[in-house]
Amino acid sequence: MYELLEFSSRGILLGVTYGLLAFPISLLFIATDTVDLAVGAYAVLGGAVAMFVGGSVNPAVGILMGILVAVLASAAIGSISLMLGRRQKGDPLVLVLASFGFAIFLESVVLTLFGKDPFIRQPFTYFWNIAGIRISPQAGVNVAIGLLLVVAVYVLLYRTSWGRDVRASANNERAALLAGIPVRALRFSAFVLAGLLAGIAGVLVLYTSGMDFASGMHLTLAGFGAAIVFGLHGPLRGFFGGLAIGVVETVSAGYANGGLASLVPLLFIFAVLTLGRGGRQGPAGVRA
Amino acid sequence: MNSLLTRYRSVLVLIAGLAVITLLIRDNTVWLDTSVVIAIYSLIALSVGISYGQAGILSVAQAAFASVGAYATAIVTARYDLPAALGLLLALLLPPLIAYPLARVVTRLNALSLAIATLVFGQAFDIILREGGDFTGGYIGLSGIPPLPYASGLLQFHFVAWAAVLIIAVLLSNLIDSPFGRATNTLRADTLRAVADGVNVPHVRSAILAFSASVAGLGGWLYAHHIAYIGPDSLGPSVSLSVLLMAVVGGAQTVLGPIIGAALLTLLFKFIPSQEVQGMFYGGALIAVLVLTPNGLMGLRTVFGKRAKSPSVKAERPTTKVAAGAATVRGAS
Repeated sequence: MYELLEFSSRGILLGVTYGLLAFPISLLFIATDTVDLAVGAYAVLGGAVAMFVGGSVNPAVGILMGILVAVLASAAIGSISLMLGRRQKGDPLVLVLASFGFAIFLESVVLTLFGKDPFIRQPFTYFWNIAGIRISPQAGVNVAIGLLLVVAVYVLLYRTSWGRDVRASANNERAALLAGIPVRALRFSAFVLAGLLAGIAGVLVLYTSGMDFASGMHLTLAGFGAAIVFGLHGPLRGFFGGLAIGVVETVSAGYANGGLASLVPLLFIFAVLTLGRGGRQGPAGVRA
Repeated sequence: MNSLLTRYRSVLVLIAGLAVITLLIRDNTVWLDTSVVIAIYSLIALSVGISYGQAGILSVAQAAFASVGAYATAIVTARYDLPAALGLLLALLLPPLIAYPLARVVTRLNALSLAIATLVFGQAFDIILREGGDFTGGYIGLSGIPPLPYASGLLQFHFVAWAAVLIIAVLLSNLIDSPFGRATNTLRADTLRAVADGVNVPHVRSAILAFSASVAGLGGWLYAHHIAYIGPDSLGPSVSLSVLLMAVVGGAQTVLGPIIGAALLTLLFKFIPSQEVQGMFYGGALIAVLVLTPNGLMGLRTVFGKRAKSPSVKAERPTTKVAAGAATVRGAS
């Protein structure tokens, strides 16, 4: 029982970062009707920059630089999506393909600049002891930032005119254009915001479980899994989806083979895809 | 007769090209080796042409399907000393046995979820290989895969590999020119239209992905027996990307496109200084091609006036009217 609690608390720590990665994915899905496979790569890039700049200059500067670089990377794919949009009208798969290319591109950039060693920082040397379970204060930081961002993203999407316009242009691009909504500019801003969220998530992963140059695709998939487990509708669901996946993953890592436990988010995604929830809510293919 | 010539024009061009190249390089081991590598990549790129080019299925795990074939033959030949022909059978059968159910349970009129499902499969397969212990060789992989008994020399292997490419090119030409191929093209261009035409979309989509996986498996079989080693990184995600790139560069909807793309990129790859920057090159090139020439090099023919006659070109992207109609139907339901 005690073990289970300890594994679960570690799972929440990991799950918060998955939940954070779900934000950019569900945000982009809501805003642009497609999936950006490079989200995990922005997080890895952000984390790597935060580690190396933070190590040589100052951790705070490193974190800011890391997030900034992630934003720049996502702005790049945002521009690419605009260029693609002009040539290939309404085929969401082309952007998926381009973002897959971009993810491999960024992975290679990180490998060339920062090498193969894992990136990890653990500044807390003490642990909180809550009812006999040791919890790193980093968990508190992660949960606080996670909740803060959940609220911020929710307000942005559902309580501002920007969010209303974004939702409108995703739902029906033509009608949104006719209503005078600057669809292209909004789409670009959604990418930039997704990069910001991915960058923050990347820095938190760096300070929690760490990563290496090849973690990008796993992080993308974990975030995607978190985003679709309870439905792609809102960022809040993505956050709790992340927690659920994180807990199941660490508990199965605790009781079974550690390597095979990383299959857990994949099985989650596959189950959801099979049950067709992602399919029914995903207008992308139906739009044809 | 004339229609047969039209159907197999690409295959005839390929045979002619191969004859010339074989005469030129038959004594040069370095170029023969390059030629075999090009043939192997051509097969995996053709598998992308079949799924992405013909049916609009974006599979980001084609290299993983090839890897299934390569591991299957590696395990039966290197570990159990069974004949390579059994390996070939497994390499042809196992990937579609994975691909068909994978596509069938996921496909519900939705190409995006299928793309994600292939990504999930690729990642899961990678983890399983690494955790597979002695059976898959774990991180180290399997070495000592015997050469093919009937193709011990490089020149013979060159013939075997390109014969495989020719067979697939013939099959693909047949597919494009068949009712099944036309149904496939329709569902790529407009899924709703295909449903309205009575096409069993989930079955067609899954069958095409299965065929494509089998072709990739054939490529993997050749890969394993050519290199004599297979590991988790041999045919990993970056290879999935590069074969997508090859198909898109050459023109995924044509028969020759993926082969031309494979040849071009394999030759260019010889000039890339290190393994580490490979991803930058492939990723950057893929995006550049998607932005600049979405139909690839073979697509440029149509840009320069000479309209291709093959029926596959007729299925263009949906017109705005159809798309608007689709949106209306969706809104109403």
